[in-house]
Amino acid sequence: MLEVKNIVKYYGDFLAVNDLSFDVKEGEIFGLLGVNGAGKTTTFRMIIGLLEPTSGTVTLDGQKIDYNVTDKIGFLTEERSLLTKMTVKEQAIYYGTLKGMKKEEILSKLDTLLEKFGISNYKDKKIKELSKGNQQKIQFIVSILNDPKLLILDEPFSGLDPFNVELFKKQITEMAEKGSIIIFSSHRMEHVELFCKKLLILKNGKDVLSGNLADIKREYRKKNIIVKGNIDIDKIKNIEGVVSINKKGLEYEIKIADLSVADQVFAVVSKGENITKFSVEEPSLNEIFIAKVGETYD
Amino acid sequence: MTSKLKFLTLESLKRKVKTKWFVIANILIFIVILCLFNIDSIIKLFGGDFNENQVIYVNDKSNQTFEVLKAQNENYTKILDGDEESFELKKTTKTQKEIFADKKNKDAWYLIIDNDADKTIKAKLVSEGYINSYDFAQLNGIVNSTKQSIALSYSNIDPAELAKISENIEIERVILDESKKGEEEGTQMIMSTVFPFIILPFFILSLFLVQMVGAEVNDEKSTRGMEIIISSVSPKVHFFSKVIASNLFVLIQGLLLVIFAGLGLLSRMLLGASSVTEVASANGFDIGKIIDSLLSSDIANNLVYIIPLAVILMLVTFLAYSLLAGVLASMTTNIEDFQQLQTPIMIISLIGYYLAIMAGVFEGSLFIKILAFFPFISAILAPSLLVLGQIGIFEFIIAIIIMVLVVILLIKYGLKIYKVGILNYSSKDLWKKMFKALRGN
Repeated sequence: MLEVKNIVKYYGDFLAVNDLSFDVKEGEIFGLLGVNGAGKTTTFRMIIGLLEPTSGTVTLDGQKIDYNVTDKIGFLTEERSLLTKMTVKEQAIYYGTLKGMKKEEILSKLDTLLEKFGISNYKDKKIKELSKGNQQKIQFIVSILNDPKLLILDEPFSGLDPFNVELFKKQITEMAEKGSIIIFSSHRMEHVELFCKKLLILKNGKDVLSGNLADIKREYRKKNIIVKGNIDIDKIKNIEGVVSINKKGLEYEIKIADLSVADQVFAVVSKGENITKFSVEEPSLNEIFIAKVGETYD
Repeated sequence: MTSKLKFLTLESLKRKVKTKWFVIANILIFIVILCLFNIDSIIKLFGGDFNENQVIYVNDKSNQTFEVLKAQNENYTKILDGDEESFELKKTTKTQKEIFADKKNKDAWYLIIDNDADKTIKAKLVSEGYINSYDFAQLNGIVNSTKQSIALSYSNIDPAELAKISENIEIERVILDESKKGEEEGTQMIMSTVFPFIILPFFILSLFLVQMVGAEVNDEKSTRGMEIIISSVSPKVHFFSKVIASNLFVLIQGLLLVIFAGLGLLSRMLLGASSVTEVASANGFDIGKIIDSLLSSDIANNLVYIIPLAVILMLVTFLAYSLLAGVLASMTTNIEDFQQLQTPIMIISLIGYYLAIMAGVFEGSLFIKILAFFPFISAILAPSLLVLGQIGIFEFIIAIIIMVLVVILLIKYGLKIYKVGILNYSSKDLWKKMFKALRGN
């Protein structure tokens, strides 16, 4: 289990991470979200041991993360981390050996993964000759070569088409099922919603929302009511607790401040005509993010 | 961690050595060295009139001077031990116009000798171009000696007495301190010929070294690859892998240069340099003679300790250069910034190079002696001063100790900067960050 306990990081007088705590168990995929400059990269760097926290501790299976543990960690950076003059094979051997793997083991694993991602023919190609999407695949492959116990994925879907996103998702899910601890950061909220059971939203280095995604959504008071049919919009607008009404195609999206407002809305909607849909739905993660952080993720 | 250090070192070395450019560069270096060792043969191959003595056409209108002039010319050549150029005198009755009309004579001189009122000679020298003052003074001396000989022959002196007067005096040379015999010449020769061949490769190799470390660190820093590397191995291991690899590369390259030089020497021996030695000697440049003189001079005995000491100092300096280059490279975010940052260091080395060349000219200069202890300069300057006898072994060892101390300081404090700098991707407040790193914050 990864345990982050009360970590604080100062850069001079600047407080980058403020008393952050969370834990991620084997098989869990954990979402770490926040706008640019929120403290995500600093947190990642502290987790993988690149930075020493000013205070607090980070442990993996009860052991402090240092160079005795880093062989069990895989890290995919948001920006490119490949040495572009190398071939795919050379790059895999380089990073794999640094993770304590033997050459034969690396090559065997590399062949399997290249085949899985449909790029076996790129093994002897120089990385600079590959497209952005294929470079991202190679970056992902080299980060999981060592079957990491802890895998940190910072924007893993960057530059990928929907088909390859599915390939990545499948691989990440497989790894989680095998017991890897995965920490995940993405601008694509639908990916986070799909993957992460637990998440944490950072704002100015501080935890503004964290916990189980389902609980977060349940506990989030604002709900959305989706209605299809002819309804009296003005009457609904006048109900106390209705935040907004938006027409989306043939449907209306009615945002309400609290679940208790839903009954009053239902009473008005039921008097309408041709009502084919009335559904109270959880808010999207994006809505929760905007509400908590005050700005969009991008 | 030791295996990771070994892997990173070998990987770094492989990236430098296992390239086609390394092979191509060394083939070119080998060809250049081979040519340098056989430069006189190459010059001879292309031909030229560099082996001919200065031809002087003598129009002797006095009808009594030419033979005396020729005898005086031969005497003068003997005095100079036959090393210097002598004149090739050719008697002619042709006019100046006729002589220079022939294109073959464009470099020849035309000397007209006539009697003056006292029946002694007067002379006029004509040439197409400028005559250097040394040659003119030499000819002037010969003509004056000729005039004196002729004048004496008219003075009714007994021929036997005249022969005694005309006979050259041979001055016997005695050097009291046998150990000094040839030392000065040997030292000057080493400083002017052999030593630049050692200093220059050192200077070039140190440039290579700094550039290589900087380029490699910046290459890894140009992507976030450095984060992956440093998350797997400590900055200390990474730092030392670069330092060891670059120093191994320099040693390999240095060894190759020595092998190339050996092959160059062998090729010279096999090609039979004797056939061209005369040509080179006539022009004051003979590699064979330089090597023979070097081996036979007393300076060769001193080289037994000068070479190992110089090698030690150079190796320690290479180490210091690579450490400094690593620290500077960690502070920069791209190779252009690194090149700017390393320029002052290279200028310091260049100063050392020029001072080493000037050391023979400003013999005994206290300023140059002090700079011989200055880190980075010392590797070039101290061996030069040791060869010249301006510093002793004791001072040289002090220069080595100072350099070792610099290496220790670079490891102790440089590593602190490296740890912070290697993951820094911004040039904002760079120096502030580095000083904070030095303070350990």
